[in-house]
Amino acid sequence: MIEQVPAVITAEKLRKEFGRVVALRGVSFQVPASTFFTIFGRNGAGKSTLLSIISGMAAASSGVIRVFGEDPAARTQRHRLSVISHESFLYDNLTALENLEFYGKLYSVQDLKERTHHVLRQVGLHHRRFDLVRTFSRGMLQRLTIARAILHNPDLFLLDEPFTGLDQHATEMLIGLLETLKAQGKTILLTTHDLHIGLRLSDQYMILERQQVVETGSASGLTEDALREKYFSLISSGEAGQ
Amino acid sequence: MTKKNSSLSFYIMAGLLLVLVPISLYLVFNWVPPIKASNPTEQTAQRIFYYHVASAWNGFFAFFVVFLASIMYLWKKERKWENIAVASAEVGTLFMTIVLITGPIWAKPTWGIWWTWDARLTSSLVLWLIYVAYLFLRRYLPDGTRRANLSAVVGIIGFVDVPLVWYSIRWWETQHPSAVLAGGKKGSLAPEMLFTLLFCVGVFTILYFLLMQRRIEIAKLEDSINKQYKEWETLS
Amino acid sequence: MSVIWAIIRKDFQMEFRTKDSVTAMWIFSLLIFVIFNFTFEVSRLLMLQISPGLLWVAFIFSGMLGLNRSFQVEKENGNLRSLALTPADPGLIYFGKFFSTTLFTLIFEALIFPLFIIFYDIHLSLLTLWIIPIAILGTIGFTSLGTILSAVAIHTKQQQILLSLLLWPMITPIIIWSVKTTGDVLAGDLSTAFQPVIIRMIVFDVIFTTISYLLFEYVVQE
Ligand SMILES: Nc1ncnc2c1ncn2[C@@H]1O[C@H](COP(=O)(O)OP(=O)(O)OP(=O)(O)O)[C@@H](O)[C@H]1O
Ligand SMILES: [Mg+2]
Repeated sequence: MIEQVPAVITAEKLRKEFGRVVALRGVSFQVPASTFFTIFGRNGAGKSTLLSIISGMAAASSGVIRVFGEDPAARTQRHRLSVISHESFLYDNLTALENLEFYGKLYSVQDLKERTHHVLRQVGLHHRRFDLVRTFSRGMLQRLTIARAILHNPDLFLLDEPFTGLDQHATEMLIGLLETLKAQGKTILLTTHDLHIGLRLSDQYMILERQQVVETGSASGLTEDALREKYFSLISSGEAGQ
Repeated sequence: MTKKNSSLSFYIMAGLLLVLVPISLYLVFNWVPPIKASNPTEQTAQRIFYYHVASAWNGFFAFFVVFLASIMYLWKKERKWENIAVASAEVGTLFMTIVLITGPIWAKPTWGIWWTWDARLTSSLVLWLIYVAYLFLRRYLPDGTRRANLSAVVGIIGFVDVPLVWYSIRWWETQHPSAVLAGGKKGSLAPEMLFTLLFCVGVFTILYFLLMQRRIEIAKLEDSINKQYKEWETLS
Repeated sequence: MSVIWAIIRKDFQMEFRTKDSVTAMWIFSLLIFVIFNFTFEVSRLLMLQISPGLLWVAFIFSGMLGLNRSFQVEKENGNLRSLALTPADPGLIYFGKFFSTTLFTLIFEALIFPLFIIFYDIHLSLLTLWIIPIAILGTIGFTSLGTILSAVAIHTKQQQILLSLLLWPMITPIIIWSVKTTGDVLAGDLSTAFQPVIIRMIVFDVIFTTISYLLFEYVVQE
């Protein structure tokens, strides 16, 4: 890889253990700035564990992790980071607006009022801003989740299987939003086991299998069939992830 | 190397106990003069006091070790400290259980009742409950850094609470004259009694360290089995 | 500071959306008094002696319900995790949750107290006002520990039972002191022990809010 842009994420020999279970065994990779980077892997491959180490929520058992050149555990770069998972992180008994206002304060967002309205318009929920989140459909919930994630205008997005439980329509909408973020030059790290969607969005990809990196590469020029063949040849040996 | 050292310390402690425990039995049941009491059962029952107090002292000491090891864990994040903390919590709970069993055995012939809300017994019960809760917390969580962090937090808070519990219950007792029963433990100790007491405390402290050493060995064995399991799994 | 305030505001916005649960909790404490009336068939004089204890049992039970609710909403959609992912200092997040549960419990206690006066025929005097600082100190002691221990228990499947196991023995001192001082106030005669006990309650509160503030960081880590 040509080292032109400084890497946003640098991981070296990351290892994570939970007692007898190994969740990561020596994972090294780099994510350059403004890259859409996808991590493929089956259940138990170690994807979520990797993301929580990058976000600074969990400490690696050994190895080095740098995000924006700093140790994420030091929590200095938190405002440049956003996590999206299959959990919404929203409060059901608050309105859409109240949810955003609350998170905006925790992130010390400037001009919060304008920003919340702007973001709500962006995801097409402005007309529903006074409605309680618990009355929202799955798709609206997903849009508000995105609104919450982009509210503080972060540079790096960590997405842990965000497509789980979404129908076709909501999936397309999320893909559209991710494409917008990509066009804005944000760095995006996505984990998924969906090869089709992953390939469609990625610049680069990595395959995790049995808690190790088995393949990294550029997604450009790669057809879905070629990726599929590669993926299954790499993971077919052995039964399950753990 | 370490293996040899640890088994050496085990043999030393076990050897000491082999000699000292019979001596302590002799001191408690033959040597120390009986207390002045109205009936012989009460005189005999009083002799449990030496083991009762020795267990209580070790229970407290064990919880203090939990506290120190928990702080060390949060600071250094080393597995070693987690193992020490949990070992000491288990051994300490064991000693506290002995306190709670010997207390009533002594209370029945002395006061005619199994349980009394006497300050010492009540505090011991509350402390026992705190450390049982600590052990339950660990049972409810899978192995990992989260379990280590959470149990360290509870280990610290729990121990800070210990003197407050102790003090508040003693104070509470003085507010309720009906709960204060005269007899047995109170009053100054004869020199022979004091010697026997200190001797028993010493013997039990060696027992504490022996149990700790064994329990930590078990934890280390578990860790090394896990390690081998992981290596084997990587190969296959 | 704005973090603490944002959390309090958010918790209050949510609680006022579910007013029925506040009513339910109030009815619950009403039930406690009714049940106690039947379980302890004692003379009026004895009733006066045990009534401070009853009051605090009602306070603590509703406080437990409040704590469980307060952390249920943080668990539902992974919110505690998302709070920990913000740049906000975990210690401030602790204080936010601590203040909001404390305020709630206090409001609640204010609703329970009139019931108590009516049912147990409490004689009011100027001295009765002492109940306010006592309730505040006792409640802080309970919620300071309750907040951090709830955040500990939330990570297990047996959240509610574990919270009770951890919290009840640890709050013994503050309960003893609260009941005693409440007894003095209700009897209309402050004993010589009154003032020192109030000071002890303050010490207890300061110790556990400080320790919890310092340790909260380790509770939200993964
Ligand atoms: N807190 C934990 N305690 C114990 N083991 C864990 C913990 N978290 C993860 N693991 C284990 O670590 C391994 C990797 O898990 P991880 O959640 O990272 O996988 P994943 O790739 O995200 O899987 P999925 O597709 O199911 O989300 C698994 O074997 C899992 O059982
Ligand atoms: Mg996962």
